[in-house]
Amino acid sequence: MIRQLLRYPSARAAFVILAVVAVLAVFGPFLAPHDPLAQDGSALLQPPGTRYWLGTDALGRDVFSRLLAGSTVSVLASLLSVSIGLVLGVVPGLLSVFLGRRFEWINLRVIDALMMLPFLVFAIAMTAMLGNGLVQAMFAVGILITPAFFRVTRAAALSIANAEYIEAARLMGASTSAILRRHVVAKVLPPVAVAAASMTGACLSIVASLTFLGIGVVPPDPTWGGLLATDLANLYDRPFGPVAPALLIVATVWALNALADALRDSGRKETAA
Amino acid sequence: MTTISEPAPPQAAPIVTGRTIRLRHGKALLRHVGGTLGITLPVFFIATLITFLLGVVSGLDPAAGIAGDAASPETVARIRTDLGLDQPVVFQYLHWIGGVLRGDLGTSWFNGVPASELILQRLPISLSIAGVALLVGVVFGLGLGLVAGVRHGGRLDRAITLFAALVSSLPPFVVAFVLILIFSLWLGWLPSSGYVPFADDPIGWLAAVSIPAVALSVDVIADLARQLRTGLVVALSENYVTGAVVRGLSRRRILFVHVLRNASGPALTVLALKVPMLIGGAVVTEAIFNMPGMGKLAADSALRGDVPVVQGTLVVSILLILACNLCVNILLGVLQPAARRRS
Repeated sequence: MIRQLLRYPSARAAFVILAVVAVLAVFGPFLAPHDPLAQDGSALLQPPGTRYWLGTDALGRDVFSRLLAGSTVSVLASLLSVSIGLVLGVVPGLLSVFLGRRFEWINLRVIDALMMLPFLVFAIAMTAMLGNGLVQAMFAVGILITPAFFRVTRAAALSIANAEYIEAARLMGASTSAILRRHVVAKVLPPVAVAAASMTGACLSIVASLTFLGIGVVPPDPTWGGLLATDLANLYDRPFGPVAPALLIVATVWALNALADALRDSGRKETAA
Repeated sequence: MTTISEPAPPQAAPIVTGRTIRLRHGKALLRHVGGTLGITLPVFFIATLITFLLGVVSGLDPAAGIAGDAASPETVARIRTDLGLDQPVVFQYLHWIGGVLRGDLGTSWFNGVPASELILQRLPISLSIAGVALLVGVVFGLGLGLVAGVRHGGRLDRAITLFAALVSSLPPFVVAFVLILIFSLWLGWLPSSGYVPFADDPIGWLAAVSIPAVALSVDVIADLARQLRTGLVVALSENYVTGAVVRGLSRRRILFVHVLRNASGPALTVLALKVPMLIGGAVVTEAIFNMPGMGKLAADSALRGDVPVVQGTLVVSILLILACNLCVNILLGVLQPAARRRS
């Protein structure tokens, strides 16, 4: 599977970027050359240099260290949001096809309603009103992205719900849960994997938006989105300040999208062959 | 669409005239609109229920705040009864949604101002940004998609597809940064913050709104262009197109009268799904450009625990989004008779 993916040049580049991001997320806080919270009063708003590689912010904190230290929270938050969305979306998505029309109708309307919520405003409202914190933010984002997983799962499940081999299994007396486990899950997994990869990218950018607004993470703690916010405030003194965190976010999101595309393409070839 | 004025005269054999076809179409369309409404209403109630439950789950209680620090438990309990907070959640919701439908969104717990008044002050700003973003997104998204779809496989198509792929991995605030850097800092053409009401100075309004709106629309442009391109490529390879070419219809007529109507389905559907992102996403651009819009009101109120105002902004947003969706769905029904059967 992975060897197949590596045939795509974009997937290779994506793997390299994601490996770097993974290293940053796991070891970032230990790799930081300076304390991300330490303030150096003698070096405010420094341009990139030898002592502070990416310069310092308005409080004299090392931007490079803050970027490294913020990786863990930014990556972990998006991964956990996707996991929550995955569970909340895939299970009802599967069941909506196999559990009768009333259950299906209610599920579809709830998903419709979730899709009609103003995404970021709702995530902000939910996070703030449940007690502004990272866990609340991840739950809010996780719940709001469930429609994406629900729809993908449902579409895949619908495409085989009336297939002859499913009917044969049912005639032979297989229970719904056995059919789901034996036949449906295998069919649903590839599109869900594609959705998960691209949604992780989307979540990273959503989490960055939230932390940018000071939602989910309390200000002194560094995150990629929070770094962007402080950089924007100092745009006139350090016009290239936002470049590093923005590039990191964009590169990660691009890598996840490229991975999703490669996954989709390799899946298509497999079914075609 | 109008009601039938006179009964059709009895006929020996059913003769299908242009009028009866139009009537039939009208009836089918009415049924389609009815069906769409039949789905929209439950969705409205579920979405507002979720919004209402948010306040309940938050556990924030206005009674203690109103009563003050020195109040006895009895006073707090009395205020809770007055506010109806001791009733089951379902009744509380019905009471609240009844008020919402009459235009009463409650009053702010923070300063006692009616929530609807606070929202109406901020609404024009958010509507300006989201509206201009929608317009820019639709015009450029459909334009680029049309070009890419008609010239599919060509150099222009590849350039547009690459642009769409690149741009869709950019979060809107990154786009906003780049635009501020170019148009405000280097060229100095547009302001990087602040809002000017349209009635005061239309040109100032456009200057203030354009960067945030463009930053927000980029994602819409990319997605619409991709969907329309795919739709066009599929529709252009259909047999009826070959038939039309054989019959000698002009390329332009084939494209705009026959193909576009069938190819626009996925693009319109995506457009409907983008509206919540536009209205919700305005909150980030409002923060970047320091505009006191509805998103900012919602964020500030949420951080203060001002439940009625947060719920009010969410309800207004949901109504806007549902209205846009309703329009897109009806448009789909008009453009594509087949879409009516699907819904």
